[in-house]
Amino acid sequence: MMPVYYQWSSLKKQNCNKQDYPRFEVSSHPLKSNVAIVNDNATARKSLMDSLSKWSSAFEEVDPLLRFEQMNMEDDLSHIEVIDKVSNYSKTWNLKRSAILSKYTTGEKLTIISSFLPGGEKISSFSALIRQVSNLNEKVKHRLEQLDDFDEGSVRKTMGLSQQEFVVKINMLNDEIKKAWDSEQRVKAFKIGIQCSKLLSDVTVMQFYPSKFVLITDILDTFGNLVFDRLKLKSYGTAGVNNIQDIDPAQVPESAKETCQNWLFKMASIRELLPRLYMEMSLLKCYLFISKEEIKPAVARLTKMIRGIGNPLVAAYLRVYLCNVASKILGQDSEDIYYNNLKEFLDDYQQIFHQMMRKKYEAQLLTMDKYLNLYVPAVDWLMYCTLNDSSKCKQTLLEELLAQCEQIENNELLLCCVVSAFDSSNIIKKSSCILEMVENDVDRMVLINEVLSSLGEHLCTADNYRHQSAETLIQTFWKIASSMQSALHFLQVLEPWLQFACTHLSTQHVNIILRGTIRYMVKCGRPADDFSGNFQFVLKRMLKSIPDVEELFLMDAFMPLVELVQTSNARTMMAKTVLSMFFSRYDSNCIEDHIIISSLMRLCTILHDSINAVTVEDESKLYADLINKFIQAVSYQDDFEQQLNFYVESRSAFIKLDAVLVTLVHAVNALSLRGAGGAGGAGAASGGWLQRACAAYCFVTVPSLHCAITKLHLYLLSGQVALLNNCIGQAEANFKALIGLIPDIPDYILEDGQKKPTHTKVAGILSDFLSTMLILPDNLDSNCKAYILSGLIKTIERIHWKKTEPLYYSTLLRILDLLCEMTQEKYAYHLDSVLSNDVLYGSETEFVEIIENYATNICQELLVVLKMLGDVKETKKQYNLALELFWRVIRRGDLLQGPMLSLAANLWMLSQKLQDSNNKLAKTMLLALQNDSKPASRRLLQKLEESSKAS
Amino acid sequence: MSANLTINLKRASKVYNEGEIIAGIVVVESSGDLRHEGLTLVMEGFVNLQLSTKNVGIFEAFSNSIKPINLITTSMELVPPGKIPSGITEIPFEVPLRARQAVSPGYPGLLETYHGVFVNVMYILKCNMKRSFLNKPLNASCQFFVQYKQQEPAPLKPVRCEITPSTIRASGSASGSGRTVMPQFQIYAEIDTTVCPLDKPLTGKIRVDECSVPIKSIELQLVRVETCGCAEGYSRDATEIQNIQIGDGDVCRGRDVPLYMVLPRLFTCPTTTTVNFKIEFELNIAVIFEDDYLVTENFPILLLRSR
Repeated sequence: MMPVYYQWSSLKKQNCNKQDYPRFEVSSHPLKSNVAIVNDNATARKSLMDSLSKWSSAFEEVDPLLRFEQMNMEDDLSHIEVIDKVSNYSKTWNLKRSAILSKYTTGEKLTIISSFLPGGEKISSFSALIRQVSNLNEKVKHRLEQLDDFDEGSVRKTMGLSQQEFVVKINMLNDEIKKAWDSEQRVKAFKIGIQCSKLLSDVTVMQFYPSKFVLITDILDTFGNLVFDRLKLKSYGTAGVNNIQDIDPAQVPESAKETCQNWLFKMASIRELLPRLYMEMSLLKCYLFISKEEIKPAVARLTKMIRGIGNPLVAAYLRVYLCNVASKILGQDSEDIYYNNLKEFLDDYQQIFHQMMRKKYEAQLLTMDKYLNLYVPAVDWLMYCTLNDSSKCKQTLLEELLAQCEQIENNELLLCCVVSAFDSSNIIKKSSCILEMVENDVDRMVLINEVLSSLGEHLCTADNYRHQSAETLIQTFWKIASSMQSALHFLQVLEPWLQFACTHLSTQHVNIILRGTIRYMVKCGRPADDFSGNFQFVLKRMLKSIPDVEELFLMDAFMPLVELVQTSNARTMMAKTVLSMFFSRYDSNCIEDHIIISSLMRLCTILHDSINAVTVEDESKLYADLINKFIQAVSYQDDFEQQLNFYVESRSAFIKLDAVLVTLVHAVNALSLRGAGGAGGAGAASGGWLQRACAAYCFVTVPSLHCAITKLHLYLLSGQVALLNNCIGQAEANFKALIGLIPDIPDYILEDGQKKPTHTKVAGILSDFLSTMLILPDNLDSNCKAYILSGLIKTIERIHWKKTEPLYYSTLLRILDLLCEMTQEKYAYHLDSVLSNDVLYGSETEFVEIIENYATNICQELLVVLKMLGDVKETKKQYNLALELFWRVIRRGDLLQGPMLSLAANLWMLSQKLQDSNNKLAKTMLLALQNDSKPASRRLLQKLEESSKAS
Repeated sequence: MSANLTINLKRASKVYNEGEIIAGIVVVESSGDLRHEGLTLVMEGFVNLQLSTKNVGIFEAFSNSIKPINLITTSMELVPPGKIPSGITEIPFEVPLRARQAVSPGYPGLLETYHGVFVNVMYILKCNMKRSFLNKPLNASCQFFVQYKQQEPAPLKPVRCEITPSTIRASGSASGSGRTVMPQFQIYAEIDTTVCPLDKPLTGKIRVDECSVPIKSIELQLVRVETCGCAEGYSRDATEIQNIQIGDGDVCRGRDVPLYMVLPRLFTCPTTTTVNFKIEFELNIAVIFEDDYLVTENFPILLLRSR
């Protein structure tokens, strides 16, 4: 059994012993592989962070729906560029059709009439048209005449369908066609096709019409393909033909031709015009089996026959289907088809504004612009494909169409489609002409917003627009825009034009526009909050496009514009948008301009003030991040007082955000050091007030934080900074606070929603703290020697740490290290400006005795721990601790003293008892001892050998 | 033991001109050896006439006298009595399609196949296998179609017309005589030719220059006019063959809307006049206003088998 008490006496070293720690050879550097792993982690973390920030960007929008809309617009713009010159229309159409499906939706109830769907109510008389000629023999009812008269009883009308239900039914019909076809009921499939195309004459829910068109033409395509594939099979067997152009009517067997003819005759006898046209189009490619020459005349004929469709909306989409079907068959040859149909559409243009149509859409509570918007995809498509045709000169075509726009009434739809379909370079050339046209007709025109915003988008792509005309253009634009009725439209239009102004005009001009915007919004009579989403888009565009983002804040209208919205929520969003855009574009290191600083301060305050109990954690993190960026960027150069004032102000402004306070403490500490050293004499001249003020700032700020570990860390850091600046009192205060905090540290803290143990962090901070303590001079006013250290020791005693806890005994070991160092005549390191205890006490005996007394106690405590580890069978820990202590005794202890010698021997024996001496650590220790030539070491070695023999 | 008899024509369309040879095979499908008393093939062509019910009362006296008019009858023995082995046996045949040489008065020659209401022209191949006393004879039949040879195209005979309230009154063809206020309208219609080749679609255009009320539909109606009878009396009936829409809704004013109708097969034939019956065709253009008020214009047309 070990003696219970050993008097500790430290070795007073003359010079620094190089072998302070046990050393042994290793094959690889222990940090090497770690570095690699850290690197891995870093990249992984980076990409993780990227993806996270991508996800969190959703938080930056007020209205996700608006965001989708924005995305759609971006898509539209991008895909138009991509497929330029690609004659494969169908691919592009597929993009377009999904855009249509997502855009034209309805909440209205829909109706479907079919004899092939379950449910619904019977319709007694389906065809209301009159058969004029008399004496029709009822007995003789021909198959031909029955074609589009379905079994009267079977036709059912299903009303009150929601959009989804409608789509489901349509899909059912699609399946039904395939089923009927596969079960040899080909005429049934044909009838389903007819019924489906009849649905397209129903315009009762107009805003769904474009989508309905897309859905139903899919069915017609299905039918057309079934017929076509069967004919192909009949003609070429299972081998088939790769390309539809390879079908040669001369090779087609007579029976296949006959079948094909039969389909065409059947189709030609459909009584109603719309289904007949749709069915002929769906069967158009079957002409390939009879005669290729017939296709073009047929397309030309169909193009003309569409004139018979009175409803312009139905006709416009019918033309789209014709063109799409024809272009699939004719490929490159189809260039004229689009153009011809576009011309036909323009010839019938005034039908769109027919009184009948007005009555219809007004009955459905559609506004004029919504109604016209229904045409946009169709006209856009015709226009786009016409333009894609390489043989036509775009410029001539544009001039032609614009001339037409000038001539006709109600030109907005055409103008709108022209502007959006043509390429930027041509439109830009004509921009003033287009703008003039709008201006002349501004009182009557609808869709002005569409025209202006696409014109604006075109202008934004211009690299170097002549300055002079940019100014006049914007003036004209402003005249039109400021008289717009709808604030929503106004903002929509403003978005691209503001970008144009930002890139081409001076700040003064932009400022004038911003002022005008404020005036408009104030006058419009509705609170700006209603449009906060659009407002954000406008601001975003401006922030993105202005060449120098700082200049924005120098405009006197910018901040008032940002704060035009009144509700706190909208303001917060606005501030967040501006700040995040600002910091993503801002590239210099510091912000010095006072106006910018105060503007940003204002925005940050808005963000901060919006935080309340229900704010999502991610959200406040994002805010804190933005505010931190702001704080880090603000610089008053050498005006330290102002800088500190700024930090003081920021503290009071952002008190709710811990992350910001942490940044502030760091910033103040940095300032404190900058004041002392960086500015040369400045710090000295200020007489240290800055350092004291900074220290005080930190000391006051830290307690308001929530996380104990952070507090611990910041106290230590602030103390160290104070010490560095020779503010002993402030340093002591910080360290005292640190010690006072130790008992309150929880074992676990919540970090990112996970419980994480604190002891590694605490151990790190404590050992940093202990190293600092070596140079911390005692406060001579108090008569306690090593005042702070003793406080720490007392605290550790008091808090009842679990003694077998590694954190506890390794801290004790480190304290022991510190105590040994403190007894030295000259400490291992110093701060230049600080007189440490070695100088202060000059190794006076009283001081050394007190220190060694502490060391004795600590050593004693460690022995207790050793015993307890043995009791709880923690052999490995016990062994390691024994070796650690042994090392300290032989390196730091004075082995000439008897108790130290026997302590060392006992510890060695204990370790040997626990594990054999082959352990690397033990071996190196023994080796170090053997290499030591001091007599005390020799004696110990001898003693160790004796005892090992004895055992 | 089951046996089956079918006639397959070589030509998928089953359409033949006079003077051509109808070639095909008779397929005998039998699960065992088949004894028979001879396999014969008969080609027959005839016109069926029927009086319309509304005329029956008046013409009861001679209604019975309307009997089918035989156009052609040819019969041949394909296989002499004997045995046909089990399995599928194909017996080829060739029948020349030629009109009778010795012409009785009123014999119209080979007419085109036509399916009408009161007049039907039909051609049938019938195959008959006589079998022993206990077994039923086997029969099969197959319709085929006769078309005239293509003639040289006739010169175009375009017609134009204007339909206005005044033309309606003048011709008296307006069915809505009860209408008090006639809407103001001016419609121009044009048919490219009234002499129409059967294989070509009927074309033309119509233009609504003016119309004070909305139009609901513009339709093109093909009508057959069949006349049956003899010197004692006859019946004349006009019935619709097909009616197709060429304008749906209130069409754009002042725009040429094409008229386009594919003439249906079988239900049309060249305009025919014989001693006992006549087949003629007419075209109606009907404009129906929103209130179902109807304006029509009638054009007699001549159908021809020509290029």
